[in-house]
Amino acid sequence: MALLLDIATTAALLFIVSAGLFVIFGVLKIINFAHAAWLTIGAYTTVVATKMGLSPWLSLPLAVLVGGLLGAVTEIAIVRPLYRRSLDAILATWGLGVVIVQVITLTFGRDMQMPPALITGTVDVLGLPYSSYRLFLLVAAVIMALAFVLVLERTRLGLNAQAVIMNETLARALGINTSRVRLVTFMLGSAIAALAGVLLTPLSSVDPTMGISWLIGAFMLVMVSGTSVTALALACLCFGAAQVLVSTWISPILGSVTVAVLCAVMLRLHPKGFARG
Amino acid sequence: MKQMKSMRFGLLLASALATTPAFAQGDATPITIGVPVGLSGANSVVAPAVVQATELAVDQINAAGGILGRPVKIAVADDASGAAGAQTAYNTLVFQDDVDVVITMETSAARNAGIPIVEEGEKPFIYSSFYEGRSCSPNMFVNGWVPEQQVPPVVEKLLADGAKNFFLIGSDYAFGRGMLEFSRKYIEEKGGKIVGEEYLPMDGSDWTAILSNLRSAGADAVITSTAGGTPNVTLTKQLRASGISIPYANLAVDEGTAKAMGADAAGILISASYLTAIDTPENKDFMAALQKKFGAEMRTPNDLSTPQYEAVYLYKAAVEKAGSTKTEDVLAALPQVSFKGPRGEVSMSKQHHAPLTMYLGEVQADGSVKVVADFPNVDPGEQCPDL
Amino acid sequence: MADRVHSSPKRGRLLTRHGTGLALLGLLTLALVLLGPLFLDRFTQNVLTRSMIYAMMAITVDLLWGYTGILTFGQSAFFGAGAYATALILTHVGGGAQNFALALVLSVILPMALAALVGWLSFYHKSTPLYASVISLVVPIVLSQAIFAGGSFTGSSSGLVGYPVMKLGAANYFRLAGVALILFAGLAWIIVRSDAGRVLIAIRDNPLRAAYLGIRTQRVQIILMTVLGGVAGLCGFLYANAGRIVAPEIAGFGFGTQMIVWTALGGRASIFGPALGAIGIDYLGAQLSGSMPYVWQLIIGVLFVVMILFMPRGLAGLLPRRQRTAAAPTLATLPDRPQESSKDALLSVTGLRKAYGNFVVLDGIELEVRPGELISVVGPNGAGKTTFLRCLSDGTETIQGTITLAGQNIAGRPPEDVVALGIGRKFQVASVFESMTVAECLRLARATHERPTLWNRASGIHLPSAALDILALTGLDKKLAEPVSGLSHGMRQSLELAMVVAMLPRLILLDEPTAGLTKAERTLIGEVLKRLTQELGYAAILIEHDLDFVKEISQRIVVLHQGRLVMDGPVEEVVNSELVRSIYSGMAHD
Repeated sequence: MALLLDIATTAALLFIVSAGLFVIFGVLKIINFAHAAWLTIGAYTTVVATKMGLSPWLSLPLAVLVGGLLGAVTEIAIVRPLYRRSLDAILATWGLGVVIVQVITLTFGRDMQMPPALITGTVDVLGLPYSSYRLFLLVAAVIMALAFVLVLERTRLGLNAQAVIMNETLARALGINTSRVRLVTFMLGSAIAALAGVLLTPLSSVDPTMGISWLIGAFMLVMVSGTSVTALALACLCFGAAQVLVSTWISPILGSVTVAVLCAVMLRLHPKGFARG
Repeated sequence: MKQMKSMRFGLLLASALATTPAFAQGDATPITIGVPVGLSGANSVVAPAVVQATELAVDQINAAGGILGRPVKIAVADDASGAAGAQTAYNTLVFQDDVDVVITMETSAARNAGIPIVEEGEKPFIYSSFYEGRSCSPNMFVNGWVPEQQVPPVVEKLLADGAKNFFLIGSDYAFGRGMLEFSRKYIEEKGGKIVGEEYLPMDGSDWTAILSNLRSAGADAVITSTAGGTPNVTLTKQLRASGISIPYANLAVDEGTAKAMGADAAGILISASYLTAIDTPENKDFMAALQKKFGAEMRTPNDLSTPQYEAVYLYKAAVEKAGSTKTEDVLAALPQVSFKGPRGEVSMSKQHHAPLTMYLGEVQADGSVKVVADFPNVDPGEQCPDL
Repeated sequence: MADRVHSSPKRGRLLTRHGTGLALLGLLTLALVLLGPLFLDRFTQNVLTRSMIYAMMAITVDLLWGYTGILTFGQSAFFGAGAYATALILTHVGGGAQNFALALVLSVILPMALAALVGWLSFYHKSTPLYASVISLVVPIVLSQAIFAGGSFTGSSSGLVGYPVMKLGAANYFRLAGVALILFAGLAWIIVRSDAGRVLIAIRDNPLRAAYLGIRTQRVQIILMTVLGGVAGLCGFLYANAGRIVAPEIAGFGFGTQMIVWTALGGRASIFGPALGAIGIDYLGAQLSGSMPYVWQLIIGVLFVVMILFMPRGLAGLLPRRQRTAAAPTLATLPDRPQESSKDALLSVTGLRKAYGNFVVLDGIELEVRPGELISVVGPNGAGKTTFLRCLSDGTETIQGTITLAGQNIAGRPPEDVVALGIGRKFQVASVFESMTVAECLRLARATHERPTLWNRASGIHLPSAALDILALTGLDKKLAEPVSGLSHGMRQSLELAMVVAMLPRLILLDEPTAGLTKAERTLIGEVLKRLTQELGYAAILIEHDLDFVKEISQRIVVLHQGRLVMDGPVEEVVNSELVRSIYSGMAHD
């Protein structure tokens, strides 16, 4: 039972952390190497908000705002000019990540910050005490996934995004303002990443390099999922389960590279990943 | 470069002269202490306290007339908390600044990168950090604790409180493994049982699987030895969030981190050679002097910065005993001298390591640490039998 | 310029005037490096020794990323593997000449094996550059995790120290690193300027075209990665000896990304830029980062982003790009080799069906093509014509039915293998190598026939007379030394056609070769195609909209409509059929 809960909540956590990256990858076809910095910025939003005496819950919308704004600036200043040089765009986002981490260090110092947790304590699940925050993450991930599907299927932005995902040139020919779709997607992805950063704070400490440890897993999950939300959810569940099982039964050290290694091998043997069958 | 150096030197000298009446006649060239330290990287949280401790010691020594009548100055270099950075820092200090001695607290990788360089440059080196033990060099002396000194107090306490089944959790690095290996041996020697031993990579932050194993292992005490900072905090947070409440000893937490963790840290047992609550005149003077010198900027002293403070004095004693700063003379004198500082009487007399008084502390609900017991003169064991 | 060409008719001279200057510069640096310890202080020597080892690493990154387009964050893994192989042998087996030799060999072989594995993971048909980059991130992370988990065997986080090293002394390590750097930089400089070096650039500029020239791009990438893995391992060996310590960070991805920074700032694809970038940044960093580590990293980070955005060629881009000194090569004619005119089908397609999910693009296609036949495929847009050509030339497309070429089923064969069976494909939009000259493009087209050398450039290009005809008729033969980027649309189309013909394929696939050409150019291409098929016995499949042109040159016409092959017959019969008229009049109403 505990194992099942561990798997479910780990998958939820992976989903939350990779969601922002996934949105950007889906439409812009680039991996945002500044993703770790976005997570960190989200977490520091909580630090600042709670220091100002606001409730940690308020930092959720605040992080969305900050992430969205930074996303917009990044897209316009860095990603857009490098539209035709996608490897350079990746490098530039990585450089931006380095810059952001240094700025955070210079502003807040290298020390850990400890904002108050959103939810503390445990709940009994079938007689077993389990961290209530992890259960909350499970709910958050499900809400996030449903929101994705709704936005994609039910909104104009979603439909436009789908068109861009399938064939950008065609979409442009059909009169869709593709550069606007790219901008909005990048903002959305950044906002979700910052939100994920807030959601991470109760689990981890907040320091300038906190995002790095989540980065590779998120990269690989997004690469195996391609452009499908279902695929991402499925990948998080499968590889999250693999990570928990390896960590529990063999070694947490192996567990920590399980996601990355399995994804790499899977992509080599079955290049389409979870995207199609 | 040269000009800048002499300017820097001039300033230092001027400030030294301003605070002291006069240095003895004769050789008045300053003695330079090289401090390669992690201003950036993993150690950057604790580095400022270490630098402050060095500055305080040097100020006090200069105010009292220096060493052999010569003023003392410091050269700090960033080692980026790693081997590559340390190579640069040691090369700068040893070959460019030509320091007389290297005294510092560093990561093990940085220390290891520095040892060949101090040997090549023939400088004495005092390592003031606690560490996993068994690092030996004819040029290096250590005045921090090793596992043989730190582990017994907590294990004894847990056993005395009735714990039998121990679960060990660590970060996957030299210190984490070194501490827990010794703990396992020691616990088994004393009749306890190890029901689990798990490691997570240093940058890992999801302890879920380990905590689930801990819960199902039927342990009645947990001992952790993670990397300082982030992993320590994530583990403690997640341990508390999952509702685990068995006795918990943490071999890697310092007072500052404990305080920052707030309620989550309450009840944690720690073992250290220095705690701010040590009730001796030497410690009170030390704290007061720090407060006076740095005011609001003062960093709370800890088990890394206090040995650094004492190491400067140990070097002073050795130079005075040897009557010169020549490396071979200083190295010969270092094991013979002692200094009574905030941690008590310290002498690096056992195979280049120091017998120490160890303190057992318990973190209170407000984050402060209460001294529960002390264990005087704990032997570091066989660290470097060849020295 | 011109006299130089004639002075060595077979091979381009290794040392051009420019090359002589560089060789002198090399000798001067060599002298500096050998004499350096006499006037450099110990600090500078020690720091520069390490910087020069780093500079070699930067060059390996430059060869991979700058020249071949493989953005790698993982060179540190091979460096670390070499360094650790050395340190582990010396720690656990001990010193002694024999063990140093063993360490040296292992420090090259182990990283090469690892690099070959990484290459296999990263480069396969249809793998993306992004995928290879992400894999290159995973490798150092996994390796450093393994080092951490190695406990006292690998020294875990503390690394290994105190093992016996080659007792050369700081001055000689400085000289050793310097000489190694100069040799490696010189070697790299020669190779990137050789014909083989053009192959790397071809893979960077246009991997698809390279594959359709029969160049085994993935194999080249894997070999390059393996060889440079060995070089990185050798650098690791040097580092472990000179630095007397190995620590996990040297195998980590942080170090790997640092190399990217040196390369980007110094100037990618310039060999010397990255080397000087590494030395400059590492040496400056040693001076400055000690006092202001975060500001230093911030400056480097900002500089990096700005450079990527506005100066992709890095600091090397500040130097004026020198005029291409390469003289126009001479063209030589290959004897015409008429294809054996057999009655057997060269290509046969049976029951071909291609679908994307529920969307069927092609269905029930049957076709046979014999040597000497020129078959035109007509049909409205969206009929599946281009998809059809792709299926014929890429056996990895998932299809139903079988396609055999020269008696071999192409199923599962990537383009370069199908090309080896005798297919040449010309794309709809002219696909050439943007950063090269006309001559370089043509020489690449001959790469599978005349193995490009690593050391220099052939001064002559051997082309079949049909290709020469195309060049002569379009005037391209006068523009051999000109960059492709300056050619007109028609010229590029002709160049690509000449490249395809130069490969001596048995079956040429042409996707609208005359689109956007003038009437004169069109006639000319038509003549060439007729000669190729009727006189020389090549087969050709041509997608074409212009019915007049088709009538002029084809023997048979095939009509594709809504994914089905609806007609296959002689020209007159098809052109005058009701079906074609209705399709084309339908098109007119669109």
